[in-house]
Amino acid sequence: MVLPATIDGCGHVVVGGSGLPIADLYSPVASTVVSGGAGSTAAAPLQLADWAFVWANRQFLAAGAALTILLTITSVLVGVAIGIPAGVLEAYGDGRLARAASQASVLLRGTPLLVILAFTFFVLPLPVPASRVSLFGSEFGIDAFVAAALGLGLRSAAYQAQIVRGAIQSVAPGQMEAARAVGLSTSEAIRHVIAPQALRRTIPGFQNEYTIVLKDTSVAFFIGLAELLTTGFNLFVQQSTAVFEVIIAVSVVYFLLTFLVNRGLDRLDARLAIPGEGGG
Amino acid sequence: MTGDGRGRAEMLRFENVSNSYGSEEVLDDVSLALAPQDVEVVIGPSGSGKSTLLRCVNRLTDIDAGEMRLDGQKLSGLDENELRRRVGMVFQQFNLFAHRTALGNVTLGPRVVRGLSREAARELGHEHLRRVGLADQADAYPGELSGGQQQRVGIARALAMGPELMLFDEPTSALDPELIGEVLSVMRELAGAGMTMLCATHEMGFAREVATSVTFLEEGRIVERGPPAQLFESPREERTREFLSRLDDPTAVDRGPGR
Repeated sequence: MVLPATIDGCGHVVVGGSGLPIADLYSPVASTVVSGGAGSTAAAPLQLADWAFVWANRQFLAAGAALTILLTITSVLVGVAIGIPAGVLEAYGDGRLARAASQASVLLRGTPLLVILAFTFFVLPLPVPASRVSLFGSEFGIDAFVAAALGLGLRSAAYQAQIVRGAIQSVAPGQMEAARAVGLSTSEAIRHVIAPQALRRTIPGFQNEYTIVLKDTSVAFFIGLAELLTTGFNLFVQQSTAVFEVIIAVSVVYFLLTFLVNRGLDRLDARLAIPGEGGG
Repeated sequence: MTGDGRGRAEMLRFENVSNSYGSEEVLDDVSLALAPQDVEVVIGPSGSGKSTLLRCVNRLTDIDAGEMRLDGQKLSGLDENELRRRVGMVFQQFNLFAHRTALGNVTLGPRVVRGLSREAARELGHEHLRRVGLADQADAYPGELSGGQQQRVGIARALAMGPELMLFDEPTSALDPELIGEVLSVMRELAGAGMTMLCATHEMGFAREVATSVTFLEEGRIVERGPPAQLFESPREERTREFLSRLDDPTAVDRGPGR
């Protein structure tokens, strides 16, 4: 019964150990464990009382989901703002800047997300207040949110840069040549000829990347940000018999969100497909 | 071999032009002059430098030595984009902008480079598509067109900039045999209308019929240059003769009338 030693947040986060010291530090977790009987947690999925418990706390979970969405959007935007220029730089830049961009990208892609987050939260002196704000009914520290968005955003930028670079380089060199031959400057050619084709080709990559960012926001559990996984955790430490039910509920929400992102980008992809071009 | 000394204005001049790629000499001391309305056909084995010769004219490739002039002006002194507005180019692989319709391909240059309004560009685009016989394909994307149609859009795209000179880089080499005719007939009409043209091509029929002069290029050097009748019927150089016989060989067995 009671708490599992390991919490697996949608296949990404494993907070090991028995004491959960960090979560204890940052989340106001109730220490009273209300036992739901002698039965084991996982063996009783149809325990109505536990489903009722999840239902009763649906607003609490919804607040977590809202923060997850906000964190995803913020992180993706940070990633876009840095990743797209970095990808263009890697594709077209010469010398030092392009090399710097590609080295930063390699470094970020080679560092575990938890380590990046530990760095942005515990090490980086971010100029933000540590005060807590309330949003959608859930309370969180501004510093934790900024650190999470920055860490997730930077890592996403590294991957988005690769997606953009690859897409640009997949546009046939003859396209640039033909644009130059009718008198367009290089930057005009990029804007009118290369970018429209390259951006369409980034969609499948972005689809993948955005869902990864969405799921990986669960890592913010590590710094106590009250996103979806954290709210779920806070729930089942209150009623440990409901671990299974809470995790199922949380997983369903994550799945629905990723499903929506995928569907939305599928639509965009189909809409932007170039007639007569294979694949689309 | 250089200027023809007839006192006519010169459209294009190569003066001892050389170009190397790494340590390899691609063009070696090439001199050549075209008068307005001339149609110069450049022949030669692949890798002989035909493409490079053409690409030097609109500076897609820079030359290492020598000098080039367009209409008397030094090429090196001209603004690159201005030069490309005046010199149209048609590519072997068409290189149509894949994300734009036939009309969109033709209007991009006029819109962006010449600063035409959307309406004026559309009108111009339709006019040039009509000229190459594709009035009804204005809204088709390149992927929806045959190779011959794509190449004709490529020609219309170049013409829409109002060039003084057109470069054709093996415009029919990537086409299925049955599609070559439609492209050649557009080129023939263009020559008939007085366009100055520099064409790298293997279409000997076209060269015989349309060219004012033919240049045989080998290993970056001009081996021989002359009027098509002379160069094809009685080449002065042994190497020209060899190349022409090699070119003729596969068709020699069942050679048609070959106008």
